[in-house]
Amino acid sequence: MTVKEFKLPDVGEGVAEGELVSWLVAPGDRVEEDQPVAEVETDKALVEVPSSYDGVVEELFADEGQMVPVGDVIISFRVDEDGDGGGGTTTTDEASDADPGDASPQPTPSDDSASESDADRADAEPDTPSGRTFAPPSARRLARELGVDVAAVDGSGPDGRVSEADVRAHADRSGRAGDATAATNADDAGDGPAPRPTLTDAGSDGRKSAVSKREAGGAAVSSGTAADGPEPAGRETTLVTPATRKVARDRGVDLDDVPTDEVRDGEAFVTAGGVRAYADALEAAVESDSAEPARVDSEPVEPEPTDDMADPASAGDATKATTASGDETVPYRGVRRTIGKQMERSKFTAPHVTHHDTAEVDSLVDAREDLKPTAEADGVKLTYMPFVMKAIVAGLKRHPYLNSELREDDEEIVLKNDYNLGIAVATDAGLMVPVVENVDEKGVFELAEAVNDLAARARERKPWGWVPSRSAPSSGTARSSPRRRSRCRYRSTTGSSTARSRPSSPTPS
Amino acid sequence: MVVGDVTTGTEVLVIGAGPGGYVAAIRAAQEGLDTTLVEKDAYGGACLNRGCIPSKALITGSGLAHEAGNAEFMGVHADPAVDMGKMIEWKDGVVDRLTSGVEKLCKANGVNLIEGEASFVDEDTVRVAHGGDGQGSETLSFEHAILATGSRPIQIPGFEFADDHVWSSEEALDADTVPDRLGVVGAGYIGMELATTYAKLGADVTVIEMLNDVLGSYEDDVKRIVRKRAEELGVEFHFGEGASEWTEAPDGGYLLHTETEGGEESSYGVDRILVAVGRQPVTDGLDLENPGIETDDRGFVETDDRTRTAVEGIHAVGDVAGDPMLAHAASDEGIVAAEVIAGESAALDRQAVPAAVFTDPEIGTVGMTEAEAEEAGFDPVVGEMPFNASGRAMTTGHTEGFARIVADDETGFVLGGQIIGPEASELIAEVALAVEMGATLEDVAATVHTHPTLAEAVMEAAENARGQAIHTLNR
Repeated sequence: MTVKEFKLPDVGEGVAEGELVSWLVAPGDRVEEDQPVAEVETDKALVEVPSSYDGVVEELFADEGQMVPVGDVIISFRVDEDGDGGGGTTTTDEASDADPGDASPQPTPSDDSASESDADRADAEPDTPSGRTFAPPSARRLARELGVDVAAVDGSGPDGRVSEADVRAHADRSGRAGDATAATNADDAGDGPAPRPTLTDAGSDGRKSAVSKREAGGAAVSSGTAADGPEPAGRETTLVTPATRKVARDRGVDLDDVPTDEVRDGEAFVTAGGVRAYADALEAAVESDSAEPARVDSEPVEPEPTDDMADPASAGDATKATTASGDETVPYRGVRRTIGKQMERSKFTAPHVTHHDTAEVDSLVDAREDLKPTAEADGVKLTYMPFVMKAIVAGLKRHPYLNSELREDDEEIVLKNDYNLGIAVATDAGLMVPVVENVDEKGVFELAEAVNDLAARARERKPWGWVPSRSAPSSGTARSSPRRRSRCRYRSTTGSSTARSRPSSPTPS
Repeated sequence: MVVGDVTTGTEVLVIGAGPGGYVAAIRAAQEGLDTTLVEKDAYGGACLNRGCIPSKALITGSGLAHEAGNAEFMGVHADPAVDMGKMIEWKDGVVDRLTSGVEKLCKANGVNLIEGEASFVDEDTVRVAHGGDGQGSETLSFEHAILATGSRPIQIPGFEFADDHVWSSEEALDADTVPDRLGVVGAGYIGMELATTYAKLGADVTVIEMLNDVLGSYEDDVKRIVRKRAEELGVEFHFGEGASEWTEAPDGGYLLHTETEGGEESSYGVDRILVAVGRQPVTDGLDLENPGIETDDRGFVETDDRTRTAVEGIHAVGDVAGDPMLAHAASDEGIVAAEVIAGESAALDRQAVPAAVFTDPEIGTVGMTEAEAEEAGFDPVVGEMPFNASGRAMTTGHTEGFARIVADDETGFVLGGQIIGPEASELIAEVALAVEMGATLEDVAATVHTHPTLAEAVMEAAENARGQAIHTLNR
């Protein structure tokens, strides 16, 4: 038996970190090589990180909802190694290795089931484990009720015997794992497996994982709902000096909430001192809240009343929180941040021009009306979009410099031969720009189908394939194409490799 | 529709009031479902009327007589006389009390009882023909049905149960005289229980068995003890022989003819022939083809781990649904069926079903044997406590046998147990609990057991498996 550590792999081009959205395994679970162990949101897609080892999950080093730098250890496995027999002492956890229940085919979360499990879980009828299960009947019944495969539960009893509490804990974990978007739900994020590793722990054993680095910033300002915090004043308007406004900004305080008796020109007036006193009171309230779990664990944690030292436990609550004024703060991560950065870069690197023109499209309307029945017969919904795309290609062909790339360093302009168009799609997570390739080679129906398909994928936040970013016209919006790397797997209904299984030029059947 | 045929509806229809059916019906009613139980013969099924209960009554009666007459070693001299008619009457009283109890329980729980024979019209209707001529029939529509029709003794060619001198286990449990000579065909658990009983009641018992030993799949050391004890009681075994026919003998009795696989023929003089070669599911008359229920090549209705058949809304429990063909398994299945119908998350996820054989000495088994554990991929460790090292066993005068416990060596989880000896049928319950709960050897060993009891043997066996037994040499 050896313990193997596993680092967050480089899951996408230029991605330095990813948000660990959910764990798909729990300590004690047996995993096979390539079995997805975690979902990481890096770019525009949720990426499943597969295990590199066959073994048993030893420890998870990151919390759900946490930003993890690429290269940080996120999970460790105990790995069977032949010929290493005399080596290690038998730990209690290894019981599960010998359990033939583990040897029997276990429901390995496939790509599909992982994404569907949350929806189905309530109705799912878990199979009765065929192998020997070391759990009392009461726990097995509970497992059935909660839709938990009792063979997958990490038992806390002697040699891994599964108790009812273990089943509940497993159900809680997998419930949150299944609910990938639950990261925005403060309640859910809060009562998961207690983020055991405190700052001290993480530091002492040298596993400087993201656990200790986790985004602590949000916590202090955000948990303003603490029961015994100061009452926000909640005014409509407040008069302040610019210096006071800065203090309020720095301390994350809404000026309208700061209590004051002073009035100037008939308006409430707040001083810098008043803001600081209010902020201190807020933070004191937060501190008493966040210190609570630490005390239960009797861990010697002393939360400093500063933003960047907040206890991980409370930070875990802060995925979405409410400020004193009732505003919500949401972590700026993942897709939203990618979009922001790309927008910003685009503003700096490309000249932005808006041009309006008017065109007579009566014939186009007629043409579309004529074609619609034919398209419908093929199961294709024909919008104006494919025609516009065709028009753009025609324009680009006439003006090749509009379909070019400036390589400043090489002092050359590359005039592109490919006509790949980004199509903006509004999704719940923001504006996505999947790319339709080889627009010049596709027919109108093919384009219509491709656009519909990509738009649907973008809305579901599934990868839509990837194109080398340089071959696409580089205009400003957030377009970043996930690249396939050997050690990451994209969730997709069509298999692990969307690119392979989905031809880039789908032909209408 | 025939005149007088009334159609009524029920949410849950249970067919058969044996230990599978009546338990299912009561639980379904407890779940608030409108439940109807149809029984064509007697409440309590084969178990209460023709199986477990009557056989145990006779085993106890015959055992008591035998004990009393064989206790000179402890200074008891007696020559008991057995009034077989009285013993059967007492047995019938026990059966009556139990079966009327079943009927009362059903009524008290609000189960509608219908006497008659049910046959399926389609997948949601049955017709129930009431017993007797001119009693008419009624049509019942149901939302869910639980098939619990049980099993009956298998008849072999040449041996008709209709003949007075050819017995099934049923007649053997209802005979008012003890035959001088009893031929028993089949040395399975039913054959062995009854062979032992009748030997103790004074019959000369000859057992014919096609296989080479008693008790089919039990472990060799278990079989040996049972066989040896039966031989001590005077039972004569002929293995490797199959019963071919019977003929009348000049002495007023019969000749039981047998044949080996190689064609060697033998014959044994008997007065009664008990055929105990197994039990088969009862599905005839049900018209299972109407709802489309199929049976396997042995005639059993196939079910899943929720007791569901392939036809939606129709469940099957107990013997008719196949192995293990034990009353307590049937009851467990009946409860699961009712709860599944009620929408609860019940399932047959039992780890092991204990079984008892009431031979002399008794056998109690649960879970895996050592060989089965190995086959299942465990590295089994086994502990034993022979009853001849048990103080309590010595004081009962019965020291044959042992308690054996099988566990996983690495984790200590108890995987099974085999107990042969006095009260093994009771003792196995502790091992069953350990197996079902996922207890370890240490858990069993560290549980204080009453002294002096036979149950201490289970604790000692667990200690023995851990190499820490006090009263036996550790192996």
